Amino acid sequence: MAQHVSDVSTTEEVTSTRRVIAASSVGTLIEWYDFYIFGTLAKIISEQFFPKDNPTAALLATLATFAAGFVIRPFGALFFGRLGDLIGRKYTFLVTLVIMGGSTFAIGLVPGYKTIGFFAPAIVFLLRLLQGLALGGEYGGAATYVAEHSPAGKRGFWTSFIQTTATLGLFLALGVILIVRQALGVETFGDWGWRIPFVLSAFLVAVSVFIRMRMSESPLFVKMKKEGKTSANPLAESFKQKDNLKMVLIALLGATAGQGVVWYTGQFYALSFLQNACNVEFVQSNFIISIALLIGTPFFIVFGSLSDKIGRKYIMMAGMLIAIIAYRPIYTIMYNDANLKNKVEIVEKKQVTVKNAVKGADSLITTITTKAFTDGTTYKETVKAKFPVDPALKAALPKDKLKPETKKEVTLSQDLYYKMIGLVLIQVIFVTMVYGPIAAFLVEIFPTRIRYTSMSLPYHIGNGVFGGLVPLISTRLVEASRPGPNLPPSDPLAGLWYPILIAGVSFIIGSLYISNKTNNMDVD
Amino acid sequence: MSAIKRIFGIVWALMGVGIVPLVIKQAMKEIAAKPSEENWIFWSIVIVVLMPIIAFSLITFGVFALKGEYDTLEDH
Repeated sequence: MAQHVSDVSTTEEVTSTRRVIAASSVGTLIEWYDFYIFGTLAKIISEQFFPKDNPTAALLATLATFAAGFVIRPFGALFFGRLGDLIGRKYTFLVTLVIMGGSTFAIGLVPGYKTIGFFAPAIVFLLRLLQGLALGGEYGGAATYVAEHSPAGKRGFWTSFIQTTATLGLFLALGVILIVRQALGVETFGDWGWRIPFVLSAFLVAVSVFIRMRMSESPLFVKMKKEGKTSANPLAESFKQKDNLKMVLIALLGATAGQGVVWYTGQFYALSFLQNACNVEFVQSNFIISIALLIGTPFFIVFGSLSDKIGRKYIMMAGMLIAIIAYRPIYTIMYNDANLKNKVEIVEKKQVTVKNAVKGADSLITTITTKAFTDGTTYKETVKAKFPVDPALKAALPKDKLKPETKKEVTLSQDLYYKMIGLVLIQVIFVTMVYGPIAAFLVEIFPTRIRYTSMSLPYHIGNGVFGGLVPLISTRLVEASRPGPNLPPSDPLAGLWYPILIAGVSFIIGSLYISNKTNNMDVD
Repeated sequence: MSAIKRIFGIVWALMGVGIVPLVIKQAMKEIAAKPSEENWIFWSIVIVVLMPIIAFSLITFGVFALKGEYDTLEDH
């Protein structure tokens, strides 16, 4: 009988566990979806709301990209973290979800710059800030909520589902955009169809809110509240008390900073490198990343679960160390494999097409050159030269205005395509090693009364600031390696020095100062 | 192990202090060479956002490590 009761109780626990994980993960996934569709549709949004000929609007576009990415997220972490430690996890991360969904939905409804002028970029900018604020509050809440439901020895496994949501959110965003674009056609999508992924968010959020409303509050928070042990001022307690501040610093410098740069390098820098340094064709490069992410995503759970057995630190530090050592060799292979100088051209297959069109007062000459190589790779170069038909007007234009626009597209052979997927997959594995166990680690090093506040800040500084700056700083490092304007960079891999340096410092600090025994700790 | 942690504390604190003049000097050099909007935005982000976080966290962390605050977080 006792055995029977125990079995029933275990079954109920498993069902409850699944519900907790599902409710938290789905909401977090939707928040990431909301955050990413803005970034993925940045070009269209820029055309609709931030015209380049208006300097204020252009400045707002830059601020919207950077401010929401790294300045606002830590503020959201502080604001909602504090709320979560004062009033509870459940209602706080419910609020962040509603704010995120509401902002995303509203972006989809804002009239364009042509209709309402400067109000359009100003409103979109404010809504983007709200998105960043909500994202800053969501992750810590979801991770804390799940971890506080999970038994000791299973926290890594349980919270690893939350860790998959950032990748799956990106996936969902790309998928919805591609489907809508395919269904409506490129022109209609650019005209108004881009609004659909934003508006769709309202439906996704409504479903998620409904699921989350039915969940109960974290048992550890309820217990603490009953005992009257909640913090009166979580911010002061987190960052003014030495014992907590020192853990915030170790979490940032020894874990999240390194994790942030490894995450951004594997998921975003790899795509940018394929498209800009290797000139790999747009659709093929997106497929390379998407397939690698899809294959790699289950490893978040593998490493989260493994960290329950062998400790969080060893896995996270191993991920950082292998990434530091492997980045340059991996990117060297990627670069060399796509480099046409290393290939033999089939000269007889070369084709050159020239089209001359007159559009109004301008003449547009388009030259398309296609080449084929013995390994199966093909190359397409499109050069568009636009200039006034009137020779006098043409002569009056400065030289840089007459410079033709060149687009290079390398379509890799099937073998190289699979090889690239493998090389990106290796980087995604590094991401899963550093990111899979980190939610459990962050939850474990802070006490329940200030957990939401304390873990959210280092996470969002590590990811938002250190990680979020990877594209900006890496691009800058590559530009700095150019011996002169318009000359190719002397080191196309120079952009990797930033993630290597940050991950290197984080690895040393984490290895020296972080304990590997947090997986066995009680979190109440 | 505790001794190594403390010695490294000096390294972190010095790194935190050293990064401030290094970044400012580089920013002034690059902006003076090419005072474009792009340069201004890049260095503003680095100086206003990234540098203070790195400097503050490394200095405070280094001082804590030097004082032995992390001595008790042992694995073995």
